[in-house]
Amino acid sequence: MTGPPFSVATRPSGTGPVITVEGELDVATAPRLRAGIAALVLERGQLLVVDLAGVTFCDSSGISALIAARNVAEAAGAGVALVAVPARLSRTFGLIGLAGFFPTYASAEDAFRG
Amino acid sequence: MMCEAGDHPGPDGQESAAPAFSALLEDSAEDLYEHAPCGYLSTLLDGTIAKINATLLGWLGYERDEVVGRRRFAELLTVGGRIYHETHFAPLLRMQGELGGVAFELKAADGTRLPVLVTSTVKTGSDGQAQLIRTTIFDARDRRAYEQELLRAREEAERERDRVQRLVRTLQQTLLPPALAEVPGMQVAAYYHPASADEVGGDFYDLFPLTGDTWGFFLGDVSGKGAAAAVVTSLTRYTLRAAAVHDPDPATVLHRLNTVLHREYRGADPRYCTVIHGHIRPDGDGAAVTLATGGHPPALLIRADGTSAFLDLPGGQLVGALPNARFAAMDVLLTPGDTLLLYTDGLTEARTQGRVRYSEEQLQQHLTGLAPTTAPAVITAVTGLLAGFGDGVEDDTALLALSIPLPGGDRP
Repeated sequence: MTGPPFSVATRPSGTGPVITVEGELDVATAPRLRAGIAALVLERGQLLVVDLAGVTFCDSSGISALIAARNVAEAAGAGVALVAVPARLSRTFGLIGLAGFFPTYASAEDAFRG
Repeated sequence: MMCEAGDHPGPDGQESAAPAFSALLEDSAEDLYEHAPCGYLSTLLDGTIAKINATLLGWLGYERDEVVGRRRFAELLTVGGRIYHETHFAPLLRMQGELGGVAFELKAADGTRLPVLVTSTVKTGSDGQAQLIRTTIFDARDRRAYEQELLRAREEAERERDRVQRLVRTLQQTLLPPALAEVPGMQVAAYYHPASADEVGGDFYDLFPLTGDTWGFFLGDVSGKGAAAAVVTSLTRYTLRAAAVHDPDPATVLHRLNTVLHREYRGADPRYCTVIHGHIRPDGDGAAVTLATGGHPPALLIRADGTSAFLDLPGGQLVGALPNARFAAMDVLLTPGDTLLLYTDGLTEARTQGRVRYSEEQLQQHLTGLAPTTAPAVITAVTGLLAGFGDGVEDDTALLALSIPLPGGDRP
């Protein structure tokens, strides 16, 4: 079964890695985000930015992967920020009580500025 | 063109090699025909064998004069092969002039069977009229053995798959109550829709007696699937049941579950669940319900009067992901004709047509029309919906409904 297109891309920035996720983040695709997170090299004080602008759907597996991102960043003494969180995902975060759990920004540039 | 090399030796002094080469091939045409590593057969258009080589006679165990002019090709085949030859092979060959690689079984003189691959061409005269049929026959015993090996491997794989599915079903059953407890003055119904026969799902529910007049219930969804999720589901169920006995406050019970899960699963592979846990106490002609939620889609309350509402509990966080999660609780009174439905997101995230996903709003609209309704009627309606989604239901779905019957019957 092939679903809609999905991609995870990582690029470096001055403040830390930026992961860009596009497509439906669900039980089939979340392992690829997890693999992307597992491959990160994070240093103390860096900021891991997860860009969700292109995410069209996110289920519990996707949310697990985002929580894993935060746990991994915390373990490395780094921070995590979500940028461009789609409205539906914001609503889900509200529903599951994670509204304040992830620092969120409108864009990666905003996140870099803190 | 080896023959030409022999007939016309090159001008550059290679004549010495050519005659020896030629001598080797001298009477080879006949010898090649008779003892080729395949069977040769020429038949008249009616199938009567006109010529047959020694190789094929050897395979069959016949003398030449037992077959030439006496038997037709089809008579060398097994019964099934003969039927296939008459109904498919021969008509196709007449139509196309050639036909290749068809599997048959030859019946030898001693009754043994020889799997072969048959290729035939029709030889035509200068006037274009068909004259005879030339057939080559290859020994396919090795190939048949290979195919049988493949078949055996496939059957083995299918048996293995059956075993896995049986195991999954059994494991799934241990994660669900064999039967729901009966609550006096109430109707209860539940349903579990597994999205896959190969993997244990992460949805769970239960309804069980707590004290003399109070029952506990929960319904939830563990993140992920498969054996790893089943372990979390199991831990979650038993923690909830044990904590519910000791603590009368559903929000406190969720705190305990959060502590257990978070201690067990943190780091790069977080495991958590979303859950609604509550108490129900029949009271007069209705029932008092206390609900606490940890990040779970809100329960739907369908009132007898045709109104409905999602019981939103803002602030309830998913259970097990955060060290100090917050949980919210609320009280609601059920009166006769009211139905409370708990569900997991396999339902509200199902794809209805292609990529469009079902929503909570659509669910509310669909079910409110049933009011006043009952728990079994709501479960029947939702299972009908799920059946309609077919493959669109990508995640497991659990449903639990509680209702107070209207006086005077199940159905208004």
